[in-house]
Amino acid sequence: MKSAKILEERKGSILMKDDGCCSGGGIHCDTESVSGAVSQRACVYCGARVVLNPITDAFHIVHGPIGCASYTWDIRGSLSSGSELYRNSFSTDLQEKDIVFGGAEKLTRAIDEVMETYAPKLIFVYATCIVGVIGDDVEAVCRAAEAKYHNRVIPVKAPGFAGHKAVGYRLACNALMELITPHKDIAKTKGINILGDFNLAGEMWILKNYLKQLGIPVVSTITGDSSYETLIKAPSAQLNIVQCAGSMMYLAKRMEEEMGIPFMKVSFFGIDDTTSSLVRVAQALNDEECIKKAKIFTDVNSMRMRSFLEKYKPNFENKKAAIYVGGGFKAISLIRQFNEMGIETVVVGTQTGKKDEYEVIESLVNPNTVILDDANPAELETFMKEKGADILVGGVKERPLAYKLGIAFCDHNHERKHALAGYEGVENFTREINLTMNSPVWSLI
Amino acid sequence: MSKNLVNLNVNPCKMCMPMGAVNAFYGVKKCMTILHGSQGCSTYIRRHMATHYNEPVDIASSSLTEHGTVFGGAENLKKGLKNLIELYQPEVIGVATTCLAETIGEDVKAIIKDFYAENPDADVKIIYVESAGYSGTQYEGFFKALYAIVSNMEMDTTPNNKVNIITGMITPADTRYLKQLLDQLGVDYILLPDLSDNLDGVHVEKYDRLPSGGTDLSDIAKMAGARVTIELSEFTEESVSPAEYLKETYGVPVVRLNPPIGLRDTDKFLTVLESYGAIIPEEIKKERGRYLDAMVDSHKYNASGRATIFGEPDFVHSMTRLCCENGIMPVVVATGSKCASLKSKLTDEIAKVGKTLFITKFDILDFTDFDMIESLTKENNANMMLGSSDGRRIEERIGVPLIRFGFPVHDRIGGQRLRCFGYSGSLLLLDQITNLLLAKVESSYREELFDKYYREEKQEKDTVAEKTKVMKSIEEKTKTHPCYNCGAGKYGRMHLPVAPKCNISCNYCVRKYDCPNESRPGVTTEVLTPEEAFKKYAVVKEKMDNLTVVGIAGPGDSLADFKNTEKTLQLIREYDPNVTFCLSTNGLMLPVYASDLVKLGVSHVTITINAIDPKIGAQIYKYVDYMGTRYTGEAGASILMANQLAGLKYLTENGIICKINMVMLKGVNDHHIVEVVKKVKELGAEITNIMQLIPVEGSVFENMPLVSNKELMNLRKECGVHMKQMYHCKQCRADAIGTLDKDQSIQFRGCGSDAKAEQKKPVSKVAVATKSGVIVDQHFGHAEEFYIYESDGKEVKFIETRNVDKYCSGIEECGEKENKIENILTTVSDCQIVMALRIGTSPSTKLAQKGIKVITTYDLIENAVKTAARSV
Repeated sequence: MKSAKILEERKGSILMKDDGCCSGGGIHCDTESVSGAVSQRACVYCGARVVLNPITDAFHIVHGPIGCASYTWDIRGSLSSGSELYRNSFSTDLQEKDIVFGGAEKLTRAIDEVMETYAPKLIFVYATCIVGVIGDDVEAVCRAAEAKYHNRVIPVKAPGFAGHKAVGYRLACNALMELITPHKDIAKTKGINILGDFNLAGEMWILKNYLKQLGIPVVSTITGDSSYETLIKAPSAQLNIVQCAGSMMYLAKRMEEEMGIPFMKVSFFGIDDTTSSLVRVAQALNDEECIKKAKIFTDVNSMRMRSFLEKYKPNFENKKAAIYVGGGFKAISLIRQFNEMGIETVVVGTQTGKKDEYEVIESLVNPNTVILDDANPAELETFMKEKGADILVGGVKERPLAYKLGIAFCDHNHERKHALAGYEGVENFTREINLTMNSPVWSLI
Repeated sequence: MSKNLVNLNVNPCKMCMPMGAVNAFYGVKKCMTILHGSQGCSTYIRRHMATHYNEPVDIASSSLTEHGTVFGGAENLKKGLKNLIELYQPEVIGVATTCLAETIGEDVKAIIKDFYAENPDADVKIIYVESAGYSGTQYEGFFKALYAIVSNMEMDTTPNNKVNIITGMITPADTRYLKQLLDQLGVDYILLPDLSDNLDGVHVEKYDRLPSGGTDLSDIAKMAGARVTIELSEFTEESVSPAEYLKETYGVPVVRLNPPIGLRDTDKFLTVLESYGAIIPEEIKKERGRYLDAMVDSHKYNASGRATIFGEPDFVHSMTRLCCENGIMPVVVATGSKCASLKSKLTDEIAKVGKTLFITKFDILDFTDFDMIESLTKENNANMMLGSSDGRRIEERIGVPLIRFGFPVHDRIGGQRLRCFGYSGSLLLLDQITNLLLAKVESSYREELFDKYYREEKQEKDTVAEKTKVMKSIEEKTKTHPCYNCGAGKYGRMHLPVAPKCNISCNYCVRKYDCPNESRPGVTTEVLTPEEAFKKYAVVKEKMDNLTVVGIAGPGDSLADFKNTEKTLQLIREYDPNVTFCLSTNGLMLPVYASDLVKLGVSHVTITINAIDPKIGAQIYKYVDYMGTRYTGEAGASILMANQLAGLKYLTENGIICKINMVMLKGVNDHHIVEVVKKVKELGAEITNIMQLIPVEGSVFENMPLVSNKELMNLRKECGVHMKQMYHCKQCRADAIGTLDKDQSIQFRGCGSDAKAEQKKPVSKVAVATKSGVIVDQHFGHAEEFYIYESDGKEVKFIETRNVDKYCSGIEECGEKENKIENILTTVSDCQIVMALRIGTSPSTKLAQKGIKVITTYDLIENAVKTAARSV
């Protein structure tokens, strides 16, 4: 029988927290996936597409063979209050002959057609794995198109093999800078930009509602529910707040350096994070009225949420959680949310966590907790069973595994259709954890 | 759209070759697959399959990197194979290439050969399939993999009595049915592939991560000796057809059939099997009869069907034939794969159905996309779609319902359990189609026919109903309002003291006293801002389940400073749409604000009207401040009374319930009150509340003789003849909370306003090293920026972020940029406390020398700062 077999080269990426002190972030992480290990990670193109796709009125053209466009077509829960164009998947659908003779010309023709028919203000061209290999000069095609049509045609050279998702995030940030830089000298207005929220299940709207109640105007949302017109206003903001630091820190830093917009990292997952983030945004703007409103608003809501949580706590007694998510910060915030709920985290892993994030994770969890980087299904299976996890929080691919093992599951991915951010998110999260963990089906298996 | 965009595929109606290959390999026993290419390919395919099959799907990747792309990925692939064997111990490994591997020209055959040479112990069959994403779709990928499996086997050519059955990508449930059917028919068969168990697993105590169902290699080896191969695919090209390979190489005859879907194709399948000795059991004959019976039962409904059918070539072909034999008109038949013969094979069949229904316009397309399918679906007036979940956007956009079948079905559960094979499967699918058409008629015909034929004046019943609904809700509110309904004593109310100002002076009133133990109108301990009041409301609401009413009762007049009242009610309404709003006023400003009260959703208003005769009024009111002027005597009283009555009339006409309060003043208005009651009744008031005077020290009436309880009761009785009297008034405070019998305001005191600091604590400046911006989670030495806070141990205030490099370049003393620690030290030099996840000994000492306290923690920033500041 296939027992708890761990590949030799994976051993460094698995850590058990010792009693006493931490081993100082000794985990092996932030490296290439091990071939054949069945990594749960995605690719560079995926990272870039995830970040840019919520721009609602852009033409997102995937230059390459069909697969990449097919698998990323409208699979995420980013919502729009305006254009629905982003929910389409455009592909040059390269065929065998294009591979031989090059696909640049086809791309040019495609852009010509798009411009003649729809004349969009913004086109992104994603170049996937083989485009560079067959020698298409995508940059030149895009530059020529811009010159011809006086609109924005921005290349995103994202071959899947050039690293993992985080590399794609950086490419997306560069594309955004390319978009907004020409507008960097516009006059400043009162208000902030929200970076790193993708309006999954309307989360951007929730945040905007909160800020509105505090009297804080939002200039630009990056990139949830954004459009060409809203994005180019971004340089006029007073402050950037960065929610998904993993994907957007790089953009925030560039905007600070090149446009003088300071930034601040925030988190809207869990009661504490939401409260301290809202108050801090108000404080950063140094507006007494906003600060006062923020304090009252957050006090009222945290109180409401705490009494909500109290009601559920008995259902969570002695329960144990496993976490396997994309980034380190999400894992950290989940551990803290579980702590708040009285649930112990016994296994925690991420696809692309960084060393210092693992160090924080180690500080937050109890001794003997298993910490994993870039784990595979076999390892998740082994450790969830060994540690007796009652629930796994993860992405779509992990769900059937949890179910097969008789473990409850919480979807914490980009396809979800319920908000997990803000106070509303705490409610949804708590309810979901409760209903899956305490479902009658587990007593029958 | 792509009707116009010939160079773009808009919303693909196809996937790539590796997807098909992986699915096919899942039908082989103890087989794992590795994709030779970048990591993303395997992840995307796994995600798609996991959501369709609701099964764990493990597919490895050789995780090609930049280096591998330039110098070849042999090492990656070999290592991948090794790891895969170690993790899963498979008997078979499928190696499927991707766009990348094919483009960089990987010689996979040679790599596998090398692998065997380097790993002589490897007891595993490695089967390689060329599956560049650009040279075909999942449809071709599936058969290419099957071809590779068959053509890579060392075959046992000994003739056996078996029948080879080869299928395309069908559901696990249909596969299971097919096996059952063949067993029933007594056919000795080899089925390739068989993904019935591997992609529709059972729940067992011990999960086995290696797919252990599927066709056994030893069975596949016997395919060369079989009597015949029946390939259930109309469109598979000979070059990738495993049946053709078996014929060419081993002389096994081929029968190519449509999959057994619908009456005709199932008949054909059975007939062919009969010729190989199958005996059709009674049960199957009955199944056929039942399907036929159902076809007859539902044929009239089916005639209204106009179907868009999309998916893989074999799938759309079979579905179209099923629709046609049932009189459902296919108006769009589309596949994303290249399949030129689809049109010729279906045109006559569809045209025949169309002829009866006088429909000549229909389209059959290959190599197309969903953009085209959508526009033709509209153009050809389809009323249903049949295909995978990828049609859901069309369904959403143009409202044509979709029956989900095919791959992938990931926005519904049970993609792996869908059935259409055999008579019974066809029947299940047909019922679904018919029911969809029926549901459409059933749910809309009443309204449709009404709109179409009904020509009389539309009745007003809607608006009447609407009105009663509103009225009822006010009635409901009255039922749960403790002051308006003496049976509602169990319900709580709270008064929010947000209106301190008053615009008239009554001779019985002094508002300067505050005593928490005293209860009477006009008294409060604290005056709140609207925001504070809102917060207090939220706090109380959280702790008092029976709170139904929020009232504003001063301590002055709620309309004298209307902005506060308005804002308070707005904030609360946003938070809680159901709470009852109640308000009390002297009525002076009602003509100005009554309409605003209606808009705010105030449902109950109390007006204190002590007299309607200016002469009497002049004895009660010292002055009236109105529109910037102070009026006294009868002039003042006249203005007040006129406004009270006009306001009352407006409110009651707009459905607001009004209570009229009166203070019974011996020798002043005690004989006049009956008149007042009559008047307010005439104007629509609901109830009157006659109260005793509470003599207050310092007020004009402090020495006025009191009315006795008996006198009060008598007067109430007398007035009761004219209208409803309130007998249970408790003359509450302006910040009362709770039920009328039990005031709880003391326990909530102070929870609205920010507690005032009793004494100023020293303020510390704290520098925090944080990565997340939420918790202290950064090494001191790694910090590129610091979050600066100030705190007195009670309050925490965020001041700014300081970028280390930037901060330093602005300061003269740190010229040497290369020393990062020095720069950091300068950045935080004006702080008293530094917080970090960890810190080295040297910087720690240096900070200590500067008198800066160091704290290492991983707490929430706000908490950590507070605790640290307190300890200073």
